[in-house]
Formats: sequence, C-alpha cells, structure tokens
Amino acid sequence: MKSYINVCDVEKYYGSAAGMTKAVDRVSFQVSEGEFVGVMGASGSGKTTLLNMLATIDSVTAGHIYYQETDITELKPDQLAKFRKENLGFVFQEYNLLDTLTIGENIVLAMTLQNKSKKEIQKGSEEMMRLLGIWEIRNQFPYQVSGGQKQRCACARALINHPKLLLADEPTGALDSKAAETLLETFQSLNASKRATIFMVTHDAFSASYCSRILFLKDGRIFHELIRGQKGRREFLNAILDVLSATGGVKDAR
Amino acid sequence: MLAKLALRNVRRSAKDYLVYFFTMTVVVALMFAFNSLIFSKEIRDSFQGVEIMEVMLGLATFFIVLIIAWLINYMMRFILEKRSREFGIYLLLGMEKRQIAKLYMRESVLLGAGAFLAGLVFGVLVQQILMAILYSMVLSDYSINIEFDRRCFIMTASCYAGCYLLALFRCKGKLRRMNIHSFMNAARQNEEIKESHEELKQWLFPISILFLVLFGVWLFYGKEWGSHTMLLFLVGLVLVIYLFYMGLSAWIVIYVRRGGNAIYKAQTLFLLRQFASKIKTMRFTMGTLTALFVLAFLGCSVATMFNFYENRMLPDKMPFDIHIHSAYVEEDFADQLSIIENNVPVKEAYAYHIYENQTTQINVWLYTHLQVFGDMYKKADGSPDLQALLEERNLAYCSYDTYMSLTDYNHLRGMLGLDAIALSNEEYAIHIKDRVFRETGDFSDQLVIETSDRILRFAGYHTEPFSQDGHNGGDYVIVVPDAVTAKMRPFYSELAVQLDGKTPEHLRKLLDDAVNIDADTMLGGTECVGSESILVWGSDNLVRDNLLLEMKCMLSSVIFPLTYIGLVFLCVALTVLSVQQLSDSAKYKFRYQVLRQIGMGTREIAGLILRQLYVFYLCPALFAAVISGIIIGFVGGKFNLYAGTTTPVVVYFGISLVLFLGVYSVYFVVTYVGFLRNVESDK
Repeated sequence: MKSYINVCDVEKYYGSAAGMTKAVDRVSFQVSEGEFVGVMGASGSGKTTLLNMLATIDSVTAGHIYYQETDITELKPDQLAKFRKENLGFVFQEYNLLDTLTIGENIVLAMTLQNKSKKEIQKGSEEMMRLLGIWEIRNQFPYQVSGGQKQRCACARALINHPKLLLADEPTGALDSKAAETLLETFQSLNASKRATIFMVTHDAFSASYCSRILFLKDGRIFHELIRGQKGRREFLNAILDVLSATGGVKDAR
Repeated sequence: MLAKLALRNVRRSAKDYLVYFFTMTVVVALMFAFNSLIFSKEIRDSFQGVEIMEVMLGLATFFIVLIIAWLINYMMRFILEKRSREFGIYLLLGMEKRQIAKLYMRESVLLGAGAFLAGLVFGVLVQQILMAILYSMVLSDYSINIEFDRRCFIMTASCYAGCYLLALFRCKGKLRRMNIHSFMNAARQNEEIKESHEELKQWLFPISILFLVLFGVWLFYGKEWGSHTMLLFLVGLVLVIYLFYMGLSAWIVIYVRRGGNAIYKAQTLFLLRQFASKIKTMRFTMGTLTALFVLAFLGCSVATMFNFYENRMLPDKMPFDIHIHSAYVEEDFADQLSIIENNVPVKEAYAYHIYENQTTQINVWLYTHLQVFGDMYKKADGSPDLQALLEERNLAYCSYDTYMSLTDYNHLRGMLGLDAIALSNEEYAIHIKDRVFRETGDFSDQLVIETSDRILRFAGYHTEPFSQDGHNGGDYVIVVPDAVTAKMRPFYSELAVQLDGKTPEHLRKLLDDAVNIDADTMLGGTECVGSESILVWGSDNLVRDNLLLEMKCMLSSVIFPLTYIGLVFLCVALTVLSVQQLSDSAKYKFRYQVLRQIGMGTREIAGLILRQLYVFYLCPALFAAVISGIIIGFVGGKFNLYAGTTTPVVVYFGISLVLFLGVYSVYFVVTYVGFLRNVESDK
C-alpha cells in the first residue's frame, strides 16, 4: 500500500527555555490511503497535539509531515488555509457547529467556501445529509437537535468536500453510548464505502475498536501499535484492552 | 478584600470595555467644555445675549443627561449579563447578594470616576477648541486662556453623578431580583435562535420602506398638514424605526431558507445568518440607536444651516454701518448724529424719507403669495381676505406700500458703492430682497403703480442687500421719480450713516437711550420687519457691528447646543454598537475557529470580520441617514426658502455626514482592531 501521509520525526515543544514541555517527541508513522487509524493514550500523552499538527492548526517544532508530495510544515499561513480547505475534514468532541446556521446550512457553508456551484451544493449536501440520516432535521438549529445528530452534522460537513483525511478528536466524547455507536458505524461505513481516510484520537477503547490500526502514545512517543487485520471487532477490543491494562490505563470497556 | 477585588475587576473591565471608557471620557470632556461656556467670565463680559446660550445649553444638558444615563444603564446591564456567571459563583461561594451588589456598584463607580478624571483633563483641551471656534464665529480674536471654574466643575460633576444615580438606581433593582440560577444562565439567554412567524414578520421590512416613501412624499408634496396627520406620521416613524429591524431580520431568514442565489456565494451565508441573528436579538436596541443617529444627524444639520446663515446671510443684512428709523416725519436726526459724531468719525450721513400713497397692493400681494404666510390671508377662492389683514395685523409690512424717491435711492446706492440707476418720469423700479424675489419671480404684471395723473411703467428689479427689514421698506421698496414722491406723503424718516472708524461697543445703547419721540407727530403702521422668519429683528437703531455680535451670539446659542447633542448622541450610539461587537467577538470566538477549521485563512477571516462589521455598523447608520435625509431635505428646503440661503440642501446633510463618518471611523477602527485581537487570541 502506498504511503499517503508520512509523519517524519515530528517534535513539538511548549514553553520557554526555563520550563520546556515535550508534547510530541520524535514521532514517525505513515498512514495509507483509505486507512482508519486511531491514536490512543492517556491525558497529556500528546495525542491531540499530534492531531493538531496533522490538521495544520498547530505547527511542528521539528520534523516533517508529508501529504503525498506536499510537506505541510513548509507551507505559509495562506497556503495552509488553502491546503486545509481542500484536503482536510474535522470532527471534534464539541461538534463545533455554527450556532447561527441550521444543520443544513452548516454543511452548505463548507461547500460555498470552496466556491462550488449552487446545483452542486444542493445535490451534494442533500446526498450527504441523507447518507448520515440528518436530512429530516436540516432546518433545525444545532441547539434544537441531539448530540448525536450534531456530531453527524459535523461529520457530514467534514466529509462534504471529499477530504484526503478526516481528522476526529474524541468524536464520541460528548455522546451517549447509542449515539457513539451509530457515529462509529458511520465512520466505519464511510471508510469502507467511500474509502475515506480517517485519523481519530480517542482515549476510549470501545471507539478505538472500530479502527483498522491503533497507535498508542505515551509521553509524546509511540510505544505500541496494533493492527486489526482479520480480527473481529470484539477480539480487537480485547487486544486493545490488553495493551491498556499492561500500561495501567483500562477504562470504559463497553 | 472587596475593595481589592473591585479594583482588580475594574482594571479588567476597563480593558474589555475600553470603548465605553473612552466614550464616557469624551462625554465628560464635552460636558465640561460646554458647561464652561455657561460659566466663562470672558464670555459673559464680551457676549451679549449669553442668557439664551445658557438656556439652550441647559436644555441640551437635560437630554444629554437622560441619554448618558441610558448608556450607563445599558452598559451596566450588559456587563452584568456578561459577568453573571462570575456573580453566580460568588453567590455559590457564600457571598451575600448585598455584597455582590455593593461590589458591582463599587466597580461601576470606580470606572465612572476614572473616566470622569480623564474627561476633565481632556475637557480643558476641548474647552480651548470650543472657545476658539466660538470666538472665530463672532469675529473676535481669542488667546488661549485656561479657565477652571469651580461652578463649571460642580455642574459637570453633578450632571455626571446624576447620570450614574439614574442608571444605578435602575440596575440595582435588576440585581436584587436575580438568583443563582438566573445568574448562571443570563449569559446564555440570547444564544438560542428562535424563529417564529418569520413569514409574517418579513412583511414589516417592505412596509417600513413603503412608509418611508410615503413619509417623504407627504413631507414634500403634502398639503394637508393637520396636527392629526403630523402626529400619525410621527408615531408611524417611531414604530417603523423599531419594527424595521424585526422585518429585516425575518426577511433575511426567509431569503436564506428559500435558498436564494446569494447564499451559495463564498461566506455570504455566514454573513447573512450572523447579521440576521444579531439584529433579531438586538432589534430594540438597534431601533434606539437608529433614533439616536437620526437625532444626531438632525442636530448637526440644523446647526450647519444656522452656521451657513450666519456666514452667508448675516453680513448682508445690514449694509449700512448705522441705520436709524423714525416714525416722526419731521425728524432731523440732529441728536442721533451728534451722539454718533461724539463717539466715532462719520464718513457720510444721509437723512431721507420713505413715502406712502395710501395703497397696499404690493403688501396684499405678498401677504397672499409668499409661502411663509400660507393661506392665512386668503379666502377659500384664493382672493385676498382683506378683513383678516385688517384684523390681525402681521408686522411683516407697513400699513401702506413703501416708496422711495430716485434721488434718495441713487444716493444710498452710492453710499454702498453701487451704480446709480436711471428712471424716466413714467417709470418705476422695485428694490426687493433677493430671497423674496427668488420666491416670487417677476410679479410686476400684477401691479398698477399710478400717480394722480398717470400709470407708471415697470423698469426692473434690484436685489442687492439694502437694509429692508423695516428701514428701506419691509422686504421691498418702490423706487419712483422725484416728481412722483413730491406728490406723496412722507411715511417715515430714515438716517443712513457710514462710519470712518471702529464702531464703539455701546453705541446702539446710547442711541436707544436718546430716543425721545413725540407720539402725536407719528404716523401709525410704520413698523415692519418684512417676511423674515428665521431671525427677526425690528430695531429702530441698527448699529451693524453691535447687532452682528448680538445676532451671532444668538445663532451660536443654537449652533453649539445642537452640535453638542449631535456629538454626544453619536458617541453613545457608536459605543453601544462597538461594545456589542467586541463582546460578541470574545463570546463567539469559536465561530471563527470553526471557519478556520473548515479552511478559511487568517486574511480571509479578517476580511469576513471587516464585512460583518461594515454591515452591522452601516445598517443603522444608513437607515438613520435615509430617515434624516428625508427630514433634512424638507427642513433644509424650507430653511433656504425662509432664510434666503442658497446652499444646496445636500450640503447641510453632507457636512453632518462627513462629521458622522469621522467619528464613526474612529469607533469602527477601534472595534475592528479589538475584534481581530479577540478572535486571534489563543487561536
């Protein structure tokens, strides 16, 4: 499988010379096209920092991140914004929907920023909303719908422009178990049917069990990697829990 | 501990609400500077009629205190809402509500006191600028003289404290009624966008516009101006100012819902939704701001009108240095001349008569044709109502038409540096005020000027400034050959004097005191002022330089308070707009973070914010400009008609607009920079 995203020796330091914190410490890995990669780790392990650097919303202190041929660590702010617009989709724990726009308009806005035609926008957004089961609530405002629906709207918005990579930061963090399950199944089916490449950060083993590969982060370093291969989801979950219990971090195994 | 907390909170608030602090400082500075006009010893000594200025400024202060109290109250409630969660936590920690109220009041007073002190320092500077302007308006030299009058300080402090007391009184009640739950939830209250009956509400938008069109048509073309219609339109205007925003918001929402083409263009959808939701939650405030903008525009424009009047019209009002009227036809003006000659060298003095021929045809024609008199002296069929003219004698015109002999006329023209005119024995001319002539046009075909043996032929109009406010007739004088006046009765006497030196300050008073009239020898009805309705003076002894000063003082007492009100209202309205946006930029920072995540660059976001602010700032300003534009168009037209100024109405409005845009730009830039900083921080 060819390398799609290549993270080479990435480091991220915070603070001044007096009190330096290494959030990410010489991390290297590759993501292939159509992969569903999960990153797990305890709070403060550097997983969100890593995601933010991949998402171009935070810069690296050292190292390189290649999206195919493009080294995003070399891009200027305006180029980064363009890159983000054309290549990345985001799903966050807090949904991050625009509260003044309806569910449908949140998705439409993501397309208008790409200067797509009215027809294309109408067709594309309807298809995506139907796919994610939010067509019926398209005229509601975010405050009027459930957390799960909001998160699916965020997913639809993230995927509407067919990004090279979907970045998800604790996407199920604010959802109840049923809604979390529906969302993860959506991720899985998008990954299978649309060949969407997904990079998900989570501290929840159940969520991670939907991934095809998991990187375990501790103190800013990758200390373990699990590949699902032909394993069933339950089996994979057990494998994850084994890794977590070995490092003393079993939590939330549903 | 509380004091320490209050001080720290004030420091934080001052940073967050810098614009509010700035406005309060400006308001104190303006208050101090304008109040100093009332108390300035120098002004009292050198300006006549300063009492009018005092009354007008007092009146302006009354409205300003009310509006500043509203601003303080608005800001206190606003800050209270923003910080309600913090107050809720204080309550949870066990602080008493009374203590919180005390803390909050203490903070507000500290912030107010800070602005007051800064305003006083700034006020001394503004005071100098104001004095310089006032002195230049009345043609005197001003040398910098810093006055810090104790009474002025006390008055400024009391007005300011009055504003605070009014505001604190209202805010305290609100604080008392809140509990922990409402404190914790107050900040979230307007986050939910409730849309109901938008289909119905959207009609308010076109209805508002239609009303404005009707209002304009009614103002410019309406004939029936009964008090009921007037009241109806005024109530309608106030309603429209408030309902417009509800309509506009609903109209945008419906447009977005319908999927109008514009929403598919780049960030337009975000802009429209953002704007619609903001004006929806702020519709009442937006209405009030529009009303303030309208008043600011009106105040400044009317002040501009009077300023133009003062600069363009006033100097022409009195072409002779001294012009003395006497109803006594035998008057030789010997006493007056000796008073004048004792005080200042006389270049030339000329005594003459104004004549009458027992006719009233021009008077009647003007009474029934000039707009200023309306239908007052007309019968239903349009013919003159002579009975009404007799019963209610308007002092505009003398009891008979006024005539002047050609020799006198040419002599007076010579004194003014004008060429003499020639008339044959069968001709007459009319010297009429330029303003009146512009309204009447040529009406000579409706006049029959005749002597005992013949009818005279009309030989033209003359419209140079000619002292026609009761001296050389009221509005007009008919110039006829000497042979004609020889057969007429002298109506009253006049003395025109040109001086060869500077007019002494109290010359007019000396002349007024010396008048000694023998009532038996006077003809009645010789007092007239013409159809002036902006600034009327009926004075027997016109001493130009003395009177000009008085007139200018009088006009200044209109111009200054109106500008004062205009400026304060403008600052208040812009502060509210600015603080609203700045607070939103902090509260809804996540919106811009989301936009960044979905691919907008920093520059694009800065551009979006700029457009968002433009729309938000321009909407009430434009709406107010349209309303005040209509009103100023009408008022300015009337003003030009009655005052005789020829300045295009658009200039009055344009000057206010430039002033408005100047102040507006300051607030806009401060808001934009603050907004960007808030959005960019911790991105």
